[in-house]
Amino acid sequence: MLRKSWLLGSAVLLLGLILGGALALQAADQSGPEGAFPAPSLPLASPAASAKLKVFAQALALIEDQYAEPKTTKDLVYGAIQGAVGTLDPHSSFMTPEEFKELQIETKGKFSGIGIEITLKDQVLTVVSPIEGTPAYQMGLQAGDQIVKINGTATKNISLTEAVKMIRGAKGSKVTLTINREGFPQPKDFVITREIIPIHSVKARIMDGGLGYIRLSNFQDQTDTDLQNFLRKMKQRLTPFKGLILDLRNDPGGLLEQAVRVSDEFLKSGLIVYTEGRSKQQTMRFYARSGLADGKFASIPMVVLINEGSASASEIVAGALKDQKRALIVGTKSFGKGSVQTIIPLEDGSALRLTTALYYTPSGITINEKGIVPDVVVDEKPPAPDKSLQNLRDEAMDRHMRKEGLTDKAWNQPITTAELDRDPQLKKAVELLNHWPPKSLAQQKPVAAQ
Amino acid sequence: MKNLFLGKRRAGWGRLARQTLIIPLLLVLAALPGLPADTPASGYDSLRLFTEALYEISQKYVYPKSDEEMLNGSLRGIMNSLDPDSSFLSPKEYQHLVQGQNEKSAEAGVELIIKDNLLTVVSVLDGGPAAAAGLKPGDHVLKIDGQLIRNLTTQEAIQKFRGAPGASLKLQVMRNGALKPMDIIVTLQPLAPGTVTSQLVGDSFAYVRLRYFNDDTPRELDKTLKSLEKRSPPLRGLILDLRNNARGSMEQAVRSTSVLLGDKEIVSARGRGPGNQETFRGKERDLALKIPVPTVVLIDQGTARAAEIAAGAMRDQYQATLLGAKTLGLCGLTKILPLQDGSALVMTVAQCYTPGGQKIQGKGLEPEVQGQTPKDKDKAPAAVAPPKGPTPEQDPWVLQAVELLKSGKKGQIARKATEPKL
Repeated sequence: MLRKSWLLGSAVLLLGLILGGALALQAADQSGPEGAFPAPSLPLASPAASAKLKVFAQALALIEDQYAEPKTTKDLVYGAIQGAVGTLDPHSSFMTPEEFKELQIETKGKFSGIGIEITLKDQVLTVVSPIEGTPAYQMGLQAGDQIVKINGTATKNISLTEAVKMIRGAKGSKVTLTINREGFPQPKDFVITREIIPIHSVKARIMDGGLGYIRLSNFQDQTDTDLQNFLRKMKQRLTPFKGLILDLRNDPGGLLEQAVRVSDEFLKSGLIVYTEGRSKQQTMRFYARSGLADGKFASIPMVVLINEGSASASEIVAGALKDQKRALIVGTKSFGKGSVQTIIPLEDGSALRLTTALYYTPSGITINEKGIVPDVVVDEKPPAPDKSLQNLRDEAMDRHMRKEGLTDKAWNQPITTAELDRDPQLKKAVELLNHWPPKSLAQQKPVAAQ
Repeated sequence: MKNLFLGKRRAGWGRLARQTLIIPLLLVLAALPGLPADTPASGYDSLRLFTEALYEISQKYVYPKSDEEMLNGSLRGIMNSLDPDSSFLSPKEYQHLVQGQNEKSAEAGVELIIKDNLLTVVSVLDGGPAAAAGLKPGDHVLKIDGQLIRNLTTQEAIQKFRGAPGASLKLQVMRNGALKPMDIIVTLQPLAPGTVTSQLVGDSFAYVRLRYFNDDTPRELDKTLKSLEKRSPPLRGLILDLRNNARGSMEQAVRSTSVLLGDKEIVSARGRGPGNQETFRGKERDLALKIPVPTVVLIDQGTARAAEIAAGAMRDQYQATLLGAKTLGLCGLTKILPLQDGSALVMTVAQCYTPGGQKIQGKGLEPEVQGQTPKDKDKAPAAVAPPKGPTPEQDPWVLQAVELLKSGKKGQIARKATEPKL
């Protein structure tokens, strides 16, 4: 029984790879070495290590005895594990139980809550948008609503993390939000019953001329299923369905298994990705399945958008489609994270995120530190030089609150010329698809790379 | 069936391997005084967690790692998790410290801590090489000479910013609010002498700047104050600028503050052992000013250690008004504790409390009067008031302090300061 959790991605992550589906949070024992069963190395058996162990114990005792304030052994052990993990690569880390829970939410693509995005706008807790179909949406919460109290507790000086914690809760339980809204003579209470809220990682739009646009924001359990749904709807709506743009810009990655599935939607056969680790068990090859029922998308003209924020699972998809010459890659060089992390739960609810393998595109190229180089290089629109990061974030947030972002509108609302003009990479992708097949990639490259 | 059996056997090996780690660890611990404060059972549970983590890394990490390397990392991690002044020293680092090899003739002129795993600039010494190169308090140093900063201790970071005169460091720095990191080249230089400067603002207010604290500070401060006292017309107020000042020991702080307070309590250090409780007082004969002068002390996020002691004592014992922004909250007494293999711990054994009994560590001192922030909301608070560029007459917080001293009623001024400016 081989069960494990795999993770790709800097911000997000992991998943049940071979058995798929739920996070495999079995005791770590079950993912021990497989195959020839070499005699296990007994850690810390060397004289040097056991001397070091005595030093470690002495340090613990000194801290216990003399540090300015009392510390529990658990605090110290968390620090020790952080330090041990700190000697590894930057993608390995230690997660406290709270951090691990948050990761599971991101990975599963659902949580129990009321369905609002919130932010601190001018230090006031504010609704960015209620997610359609959720309890918050049904109860009439609106973008821009100020949340003055949560269950009677004032939200002044609250952090976003604390607010999220208070609003989330078990399915079926209730939360009372006191809302201040323009036009309310005084703040009003909204009592909202929590439900399971899906987090969608896939958004879509269509374009005139039979083109479809699909954006993946990360790779979690529901990503491939949601992608299939949009593809099916587009096929019905667009006749003919002449081309597809898959937007992986700023997609930090996620589950390896989902990267394989997403690639598989667009490939008839062949290698998608392979991994190599220290043990045989970490060495795997993933192929496209020819018999896939939805293989109808294996030949549609396709452009993949990437930028330096596309990492990990995004790079697997872009790498596979590029190496197999299945899609034209447009944008800027991707992040370059070519390693696979496995999530190893520890006995108290904390977990290790450990780099256990490197992965390679079908042509045998490691992505680590190199990234995927686009076939057609197009830079993003440079931000106005006088804008700070905070300005840019605020502006993006305001656009989102006004539902003016590219993916804030209904999927079947065509992308306008004005929207294309704001996004030179997307515009280039449309141009390429409108003149498919590209006459000569070789000639285009130097021009586009200028 | 066969697989299942083998699977269980594998699990058995894992447990055995972990036992070989945990048993020596527990034996070793039992032989030492001062076992964990929490019940032994939960302490042992936590240690089992540690051995479990090390075991998983040794078995599954993509590259092999020696146990020794991981245990070293663990010691660094434990000390880093305590507070920014606590560090682990390897045997070599400890040797260097004992032999005085850390006393380099040149430095960057910057105080740094590891905060949330980031190497963070706390203060930049006025007129020092880092200030000249444009480094600012609050900056995060991502790379030094192209090398990514990871898992560094505060002590190691300090050493990296010292060296021979003329040596240069290429830093990659991320500034709050910036879109991209920037490169800054700092050329190490010996610090220019002098920690105290002063000048008059208007005709009767004195502005006294302490760049940082060292052994000369008490004498310099004494000289400065005495010469100011002789002026005519007499001083109506004193502005003591402790912003962007994070360097100095508890002893230097006590001796310097004694110049202003004389025989009064300045700070108390409180730890857990009886040996780590001490109250420090000034001396009557140190007192420089015979008649107390109304005083405003300027503080900000770069005010730490000795400067926090001085600010707290001036507030509690001299009725000085703190103006500016909250201080860092880094103020403790550290000791160096050697370990049996030649390595050592730099550990905070006591924390500072103001004469009024307020703990400084972790919380910092709140200003009584908030410094007015410039209209540009995007500037980080720490970067709002660099004491280098503008002269005191152009410095908004100095002007605010003068207003406060002129009015003589700090309550009114405090209220005014929080009202929007039209």
